[in-house]
Amino acid sequence: MDKIEISLTINETPYQMRVLPNDTLLEVLRNQLDLTGSKEGCDEGVCGSCTVHMDGKPVRACLTLALEARGRKIKTVEGLATGDALSDLQQSFIDHGAVQCGFCTPGMLMAGEALLSTTPGPDEQTIRRALSGNICRCTGYAKIVTAVAHAGNPQAPCPDCRTQTPYLQAKE
Amino acid sequence: MRLPRFEYLGPKTLEGALDLMATHRDDAKILAGGTDLLVRMKKGLIRPKTIISLKALDELAYIKRDTRENRNNILIGGRTLIADIIASDLVQRKAPALSRACERIGAITLQHFVGTLAGNILQDNRCWHYNQSQFHRSGRGACHKDGGKICYARQDSDRCNSTCQSDGATALMALNASITLQRKGGRRRVDLADFYTNDGIAPHAIESHELLTQICIPIQGGQSAYKRLSYRSAIDYPLVCAGVLLIPSTASPTEISEARIVVGAMGRSPLYMAAASASLGGKKLDDTDAFQKAGKAAMDTAATFAVHNVGSTLEYRYAMVAEMVFQALTEAGEAARETGQKAANKGVQ
Ligand SMILES: Cc1cc2nc3c(=O)[nH]c(=O)nc-3n(C[C@H](O)[C@H](O)[C@H](O)COP(=O)(O)OP(=O)(O)OC[C@H]3O[C@@H](n4cnc5c(N)ncnc54)[C@H](O)[C@@H]3O)c2cc1C
Ligand code: SF4
Ligand code: FES
Ligand code: FES
Repeated sequence: MDKIEISLTINETPYQMRVLPNDTLLEVLRNQLDLTGSKEGCDEGVCGSCTVHMDGKPVRACLTLALEARGRKIKTVEGLATGDALSDLQQSFIDHGAVQCGFCTPGMLMAGEALLSTTPGPDEQTIRRALSGNICRCTGYAKIVTAVAHAGNPQAPCPDCRTQTPYLQAKE
Repeated sequence: MRLPRFEYLGPKTLEGALDLMATHRDDAKILAGGTDLLVRMKKGLIRPKTIISLKALDELAYIKRDTRENRNNILIGGRTLIADIIASDLVQRKAPALSRACERIGAITLQHFVGTLAGNILQDNRCWHYNQSQFHRSGRGACHKDGGKICYARQDSDRCNSTCQSDGATALMALNASITLQRKGGRRRVDLADFYTNDGIAPHAIESHELLTQICIPIQGGQSAYKRLSYRSAIDYPLVCAGVLLIPSTASPTEISEARIVVGAMGRSPLYMAAASASLGGKKLDDTDAFQKAGKAAMDTAATFAVHNVGSTLEYRYAMVAEMVFQALTEAGEAARETGQKAANKGVQ
């Protein structure tokens, strides 16, 4: 079976490459494009560490054929920051200690960003539901949920939100 | 896990897809969201030479109401996404059991934005001895479903007892749904209740060159509900699920004229509970006692089918059949009484 020439748009950058029909989007991202932010945990749809956005919606890159990603807008965790400036959600993950080993983090961020893009100011139940397809072995989820809830939405009583720091002032 | 090699075909039209299916027959598999198919391919459970993708067939992605010639149906296309069904106001109002079932399929980031209801109905039966890696399975002889002559789930069984764990199928069967299967030069319509073969190896009555193009749900009045139990509230397949439909009588709106109870994840097919359903005829919509009895009757029937091959223990799953059926009946009964009240109030005004 021959390789097929395709073009993909990933993090707003167009790429030309040759792939096999049985290459998954995750394999192409990690092995051909060196975009190793998306992780391979289970490779069978269970864990969510490979979550990316396809046309703004969260999907499993390990269960997506690279050929099926043609013509779609793909966003990976590498596409969240603008230059060196982290997204509100990324910063919030750091501030709230929502990262331990970090393996689930790219998937959690993509699931969280997908939620925040459609539902500003989600309540806890909505957040838990949006993240329910992503497994974390370390944090116990509480800090991840808080990080999503307080992303770009600092809460005065929260000791982890940067309420009095230059972070907020810079934003104003 | 690498996927095995295959040829990829992406037809641009429905006709093109049917042509390709007629040519490739058993060598080809349809790819919708791929969240069932690709996992099985990775595990070496299935090795199609050719994959025919539905990606370009936007004509099969729709939800609409059909009211032509006195008909009253919800029509759902063969490539309609689970997320679109969850978001549909029409489905939510007229077939809430399907809304609930779709919400509970896997997880939002897993299949809701790529997975389809057709793929959900057509996903293969499962068994924890079979849905394992090649390495795991290589440690022992192949079972019936894997091409061998033994069943690890039920001793001395001469056939496969794999379980249908489709949430969508259970809800749709309770709703009396039918499906359209199209092939080159023809089509047929099958009631979902007749579509399941009760054969663990080939669970669906579909030919390899047939495409599921449409799902039709009759709007019959009454209320439906869906309840489900799984280890975790997301990602995991159901261990027990129940879909019910209660239609009140027109003469006395607080009484049940027809009930349909379907139990899923307990057999090779979703199980229509004929006796339990019939027992509710003429009963009140809030007859807790009758709902409990119907749950027990469903449990007894389900117990003759279930095999210990999807997790938990059989005893627990039996008991939970009664509970899921009871909860679903209670919810549907309450909703039906509410709608009846509203209609009565309107009449008074
Ligand atoms: C971790 C995990 C958890 C899951 N949890 C659940 C769950 O809780 N409940 C549940 O019900 N399912 C679950 N699934 C199974 C699966 O994701 C869903 O059933 C999903 O709806 C399948 O749809 P799809 O479009 O991805 O199907 P695909 O994988 O694309 O297709 C499934 C099968 O149907 C065939 N097919 C698809 N469309 C058509 C068509 N139009 N005509 C003819 N043949 C067709 C394919 O050839 C294939 O054999 C889970 C899967 C995973 C990996
Ligand atoms: S029920 Fe038996 S034959 Fe069927 S998949 Fe399980 S072990 Fe194999
Ligand atoms: S690697 Fe894709 S879901 Fe686990
Ligand atoms: S931080 Fe380790 S898996 Fe989530």
